[in-house]
Amino acid sequence: MRLLQRLKRGMSTQKSRPQGNSNYAYTTARVRAMKSKLLPKETYPRLINMQIDEITRFVGELEYKEDVDYLARFYEGVDLIEHALNRNLAVTFTKLISISEGELNFLISEYLKKYDIWNIKTILRGKYCGASTDEILEAVVAAGRLTYTFTSELAAKPTYEDVIASLSTSEYASILKDYDGTNLSVIENRLDKKYYQDLFTAIGDPKSKDRKLFSKFIRTDIDMKNLITLFRLKKYKVNDPETADLILDGGLRLKYKEVEKMMPLAFEDFLTELENTSYWEELSDCCGPNMDSLTDVETKLKKLRLKTAASFSHVYPLSIVPIMDYILSKENEVNNLRIIIRGKAVGLSDEEIKSQLVI
Amino acid sequence: MGAKDIKPTRSELIELKKKIKLSQSGHKLLKMKRDGLILEFFDILSKAKDVRSELDKAYEVANKKIGLANAVDGIITVKSTAFALQNIPQIELESRNIMGVVVPKIESSSVRKSIEERGYGILGTSSYTDEAADAYEKLVENIIVAAEIETTMKKLLDDIEKTKRRVNALEFKVIPELQESMDFIRLRLEEMERENTFRLKKIKG
Repeated sequence: MRLLQRLKRGMSTQKSRPQGNSNYAYTTARVRAMKSKLLPKETYPRLINMQIDEITRFVGELEYKEDVDYLARFYEGVDLIEHALNRNLAVTFTKLISISEGELNFLISEYLKKYDIWNIKTILRGKYCGASTDEILEAVVAAGRLTYTFTSELAAKPTYEDVIASLSTSEYASILKDYDGTNLSVIENRLDKKYYQDLFTAIGDPKSKDRKLFSKFIRTDIDMKNLITLFRLKKYKVNDPETADLILDGGLRLKYKEVEKMMPLAFEDFLTELENTSYWEELSDCCGPNMDSLTDVETKLKKLRLKTAASFSHVYPLSIVPIMDYILSKENEVNNLRIIIRGKAVGLSDEEIKSQLVI
Repeated sequence: MGAKDIKPTRSELIELKKKIKLSQSGHKLLKMKRDGLILEFFDILSKAKDVRSELDKAYEVANKKIGLANAVDGIITVKSTAFALQNIPQIELESRNIMGVVVPKIESSSVRKSIEERGYGILGTSSYTDEAADAYEKLVENIIVAAEIETTMKKLLDDIEKTKRRVNALEFKVIPELQESMDFIRLRLEEMERENTFRLKKIKG
């Protein structure tokens, strides 16, 4: 069955509908074992105190050994570690898709579809600026439903029209057909919006408690995306009415109407309006009318996102919840390792690195 | 031009006088030009110092921001986002004249962009990328200003050096040599006059 699923995944770009029974027991048991291999939070302060070479050696002795060994032929130093981290992430998430069945597989695939969208965007961007196939493939992370082989074939296409033609039977075809070679940002936004819309639709109207938690997590994610989009648009004083298209529907604590109301406001008014929301408590200490940078807000929201997921990860052991928790924790581990090693390489202070870590 | 190569004639003397007058007025003008250029140079020098320190600061910030974006979003994300860049900055090169020195005037467009003009989607990117792009746009702007001012400074320096050489050549070589030639002709003419008077007296006697 799993072999059949893997074969189907490799051959088709079509969205697969949930079929058959979900194997929650099997997948969650595997995920528990995988989660036990994640780095404990005590490791990060130790890593911050290490030199780049020590960190490289340390990472090379972990779960990432195989990836480091494989990629050592092509990269070295910090680049090697970053590519190894991404390769491991792709391998791990692909494994999750291949070991899960039925509806569970559908939900995991829907969540990991962000990597497919990321890869399509990267290929279109690459074709737009005339990057070589190798350059494009360096920026690809095949952690979703589209296999690396298929993505490589797309990247090797000579023009963006050929890329779009190859995806004509995929679920992205309706958006991609509107790409005329100049409106890349519009297409990117529509693809990203589709991701969140599909995720929201995939959850549907949750009946069971575990599904409700999963729904809560996704909807919190949508809130955070809306919040950071608002912050960015306000900071850059973008008042184009068309930006209303960027609002994602389905937020938990910030309803569509509330976000829509905040859209035309000036930055100061937006902050005043934000004070009335439940997110203000988490964001109040890094927000102000004269704030130069939004990175603190973004880091705070990331931390909140992980905290939300971790808070209910142990509640329903045989559900999508621990799997989601694992996906987030794995992404977070990769991000943290990258922040430490890249931060060290560019000479960021330990304090600056620490402030960016989500532990 | 050695004094001995000169024909000691009255017309040559008149010619030399003209040349000396011209050289002296040229010397005066070039001296004024040199002083003017030096003044202009010092004016630009103070501007260049400010621009250079701003450029260094902008470079430091840009490096830090791109480092942070590489660390948080990953180099893969930054690279992919950079592929999407639209409207590459356009640079228009014009020229202006400072006391006869042609210096460049660089006009730039599409350097600073709003978040919508950068080519990448807003939903799929982060503020780390925005801030790195901001910092680099500022850096490019500073580079353009620094390029204009520093090229102007270099051209002014070259011209000051050239004018200084000309002033010195006129002051210490051309004018003294002309004076020497003039003195030589005068001396020869006077001598010829004396010889002539003596010859006439001898014939009379």
